[in-house]
Amino acid sequence: MNLERVSNEEKLGLCRKYYLGGFAFLPFLWLVNVVWFFQDAFIKPAYTEQLQIKAYVKRSGLGLAVWVAVLTTWITIYQHYRSQWGEMGDYLSFTIPLGIP
Amino acid sequence: MDLISTKWIIHLLLYCLFHGVSCNSVDQKIYIKLNDTVPCVRLLNATHQIGCQSSLAGDVGVIHFLESEENLDWVLSTGPSPPYMVILESHLFNRPIMMKLKNSFSRIAGVAVIKPSSSPIQGFSPHTTCPNENTGVYSESYDPTLAHCNTTVWNPIGNGLSYEEFNFPIFSLKDDNGTEVIRQCYLNHNRVVNGSAPSYPLCAMELSSHMHAVTNTVTCMRRSSNGAFSLNPEVVCDPLGNNNVWGSTKSLNNTATGHSENETVVIAAARLDSRAFFHGISLGAESSASGFITLLAAAGALANVTRENHPPRTILYTFFQGESFDYIGSSRMVYDMEKDNFPIDLDNIHSFVEIGQVGLHNISGLWLHSDPVSRRNNSIDTEVMSLTDVFQKVANDLNISLNLSDVSQPLPPASFQRFLRSQPIPGIVLTDHHTHFTNRYFESMYDNTEYLNLTFPADLPPEQQFTYITDTAKGLAKVATMVARTLYKQAGGADEMLASINADELTVAQMLYGFLVQTKNPWFEAIIIPEYQPLLGPAPPEYYVGVITNNTFTTKLVSYVLANLTGIAVNISRENCTNHREFADDAQSTDMNSYLWVQGVTPPNGTEPEGYCVRSTVRLTQAQSPAFLLKEYHSSNYSTWSESRWKSNIGARIFLVAGHDLEMLTLGVGVAILLISLLLTYFVNSKADFLFSSGREPANATY
Amino acid sequence: MTASVFFGCTFIAFGPAIALFLFTIARDPLRVIFLIAGAFFWLVSLLLSSLVWFISVQISNKESAPQQKGLLIFGVVLSVLLQELFRFGYYKLLKKANEGLLALSQEETMPISIRQLAYVSGLGFGFMSGAFSVVNILADSVGPGTVGIHGDSQHYFLSSAFMTMAIILLHMFWGVVFFDACEKKRWWCLVIVVASHLLVSCLTFQNPYYVGSLVPTYIIMFLMGVWAFCCAGGSLRNLKLCLTCKDKDFLLANHRPR
Repeated sequence: MNLERVSNEEKLGLCRKYYLGGFAFLPFLWLVNVVWFFQDAFIKPAYTEQLQIKAYVKRSGLGLAVWVAVLTTWITIYQHYRSQWGEMGDYLSFTIPLGIP
Repeated sequence: MDLISTKWIIHLLLYCLFHGVSCNSVDQKIYIKLNDTVPCVRLLNATHQIGCQSSLAGDVGVIHFLESEENLDWVLSTGPSPPYMVILESHLFNRPIMMKLKNSFSRIAGVAVIKPSSSPIQGFSPHTTCPNENTGVYSESYDPTLAHCNTTVWNPIGNGLSYEEFNFPIFSLKDDNGTEVIRQCYLNHNRVVNGSAPSYPLCAMELSSHMHAVTNTVTCMRRSSNGAFSLNPEVVCDPLGNNNVWGSTKSLNNTATGHSENETVVIAAARLDSRAFFHGISLGAESSASGFITLLAAAGALANVTRENHPPRTILYTFFQGESFDYIGSSRMVYDMEKDNFPIDLDNIHSFVEIGQVGLHNISGLWLHSDPVSRRNNSIDTEVMSLTDVFQKVANDLNISLNLSDVSQPLPPASFQRFLRSQPIPGIVLTDHHTHFTNRYFESMYDNTEYLNLTFPADLPPEQQFTYITDTAKGLAKVATMVARTLYKQAGGADEMLASINADELTVAQMLYGFLVQTKNPWFEAIIIPEYQPLLGPAPPEYYVGVITNNTFTTKLVSYVLANLTGIAVNISRENCTNHREFADDAQSTDMNSYLWVQGVTPPNGTEPEGYCVRSTVRLTQAQSPAFLLKEYHSSNYSTWSESRWKSNIGARIFLVAGHDLEMLTLGVGVAILLISLLLTYFVNSKADFLFSSGREPANATY
Repeated sequence: MTASVFFGCTFIAFGPAIALFLFTIARDPLRVIFLIAGAFFWLVSLLLSSLVWFISVQISNKESAPQQKGLLIFGVVLSVLLQELFRFGYYKLLKKANEGLLALSQEETMPISIRQLAYVSGLGFGFMSGAFSVVNILADSVGPGTVGIHGDSQHYFLSSAFMTMAIILLHMFWGVVFFDACEKKRWWCLVIVVASHLLVSCLTFQNPYYVGSLVPTYIIMFLMGVWAFCCAGGSLRNLKLCLTCKDKDFLLANHRPR
């Protein structure tokens, strides 16, 4: 979809849909929001819907940052301590590497 | 093109496809694969892991032939191109060197041991000094002074290498052409000349033996059955186990398990298995084969007399598997007896005779061992004394020197200890050593036919070697006769019959040949079932206990030999035989006996061997540790040994490695060429219209 | 030998080809199609020549080494001749296709000139030839070992990569010269192209004496490059003007579009 050919109201609608969709534990939708609408929100010259789009993009960015932080922290902790957690670590794991603790 | 020539072309193409071309591929230019290598694998128990582990794709190291212990410095600190692959002659494969290598494993990629043709004179035993010390009967609660070999160290030569954990792969190489290639490569490329380091390219070796299981049996069994999330959990380890073989002089009702009324039994036991540091190359000639062959010969000697004049008590012959790994077989049989899963139970046992290591009896004589703690009970003590008296009398009649070890000395490692753990039973263990083992190669790859002095005259062809009666065979036959007569007397048989009980020397010689030299011989061919004929080959059977899913041929062989020696031929058809249908009442057949249709021999004027049916009392019972049955993988009462699984790419190969500098240079040149060509192309492309403009007419934009 | 040697040799062998593809061919779908078709033509020529060689090897005496060597030389010569034959066949096909394309398309001028087709088809031949020369070797260079334990030269990977780069560029130059010669009906040019191809292929029999095969190959590549440059419409004057950045002035002065 080429955003050039879409009207501003439709752009706002899209941005809002992706923003709301991200709350269903789908941070990638927020990532898409940020990347896709970044130019429209911050770089293009002003138009009526830009303020709202800007707000949505900022909030999506914030949500994305929170998710990234949480996931990075959890992944680091898990990778580091899984072998020390013994049984609990094995129950949390979907696949366990062969031959290493 | 008409049909005929099309067909011809198709046939030609198919012919070419099937006959392939031998490609001189790049892979063959680089690597030489080594054949005949034996890895050391990872074994786990409730608390530890032992053995060796390599990286997933194998470990690569620059080859270094270790000349002496001082030469270790090169490998450990001064050598300029770590990691090193250390190649040891077998006389350097000892504990101090291996511990030093283990501690600096960042510079060691692996170890390869060259297996020599002769055994080290000073003895070598990678087992511990006190075998099975935690699962025998001697514990702190039984008698603290006797626990952990406080009074008698049974295997003082033992260096415990088999029970160490190594982070690098260790392989055993046979000393032949392959090793010669390695030596040549080393001399050409890796030699230190005048103290200066050898220059690249250097000769290197890759050893690959990646093991899947880690930490201990509890962890690996948990991971193998982690059904919570995985649809298809990958099994990473298997419990060690096999089958026990047992037979009796009188048929016992196999389905009437538990205590058997009016039945007293004398158990005669021996163990079947042995192990070595490397995976599965143990022969155990002295440590286990001498024992079970003697017991088989004794069973053969007793067969006729017990059939005609059965003594008051039944004699039960038991052959245990897995005894080197904390008494897997005997602990399982005791457990079965306790839980009423066996035709008799512990109260039915009158006495116990075990045949331990007896192969070297002409060096150190024969000794009887008993358990001092149970003998504090008077009734047990009198029983043991009467058993030893019987032994002495029989030995005197046969002119064998038999001695008693001190009453205060504990039992050597023996299956009898597991029975004592449950219940005090009078019993004797017969061995050829007084205090410590006479066997200098206990549980190692050097415990072979040479050590037992099983040598044949050089000019004898194989068919005659099979029937040649060596001195070893004669000696073991004598011991077997003594054991047989003692068992008969102990079972309450009459003294007059004793003189007729004699173990056949030829049978013993044939058993020694079949079990220690090669399985393919006329006697084995005749006594096993036809389906297993292809398994007979030019090598002796494997005595490593193996994993429970692998029913080894060795156990089957022992059961067939026992069936042949103690059973009788019955005249029923093959179909009835394989369906165990001898009597009108099927239940009576299967409950009391087992039937085997064996191949038999080829008659003189025939071409096909004539099979027949053998009826015997020989049965196999599962020899898996109760810990796995009860799923108590952390148990300290039962054996918890398991073996890791691995992918099939275990092997070794040698090749040359180039210096790190050359590799980086290649990468640098490649990147530089790529960047230059990108720049040039961009430049030429942007000026393309102009550069290629001469000779073009102005009117046409394209030509 | 390891990942670094693998990437190094890949970049050496395919670097120029990738650069050419990225900047000149990737943006135009028509050129991509002709490139792939050219590669396919080379592939078919290799298939035919290898079939002939395979059958002859099966019929022959496998034990006799001189006979096998002779068969190999025969196979190489046959393969070169077949490749050039298929190049000629591709030229004929492209001429016909161009007329058809012109009839189909709305525009009056041809969407792609025969000169560009020459370059693209040569590069296609080069890509496929390079791939078959070097991919097997690259696959084995990833492992930990290097060539040499049986006494072969240690520079096997590097020289194979350089040879492949030369071959790819040579195929491109041969393509340009070949098509130009066919257009202008200068048959002696064709003979020289085939002869130089035969010479380069036979030079590889000098291996493992790599200096003997690589140096002459690069000299031939340079000469063919100059010739192809001239055939494609370049000249020394243009080159000099380009290098001294006076091309813009020249164009402006002559009212030529850039």
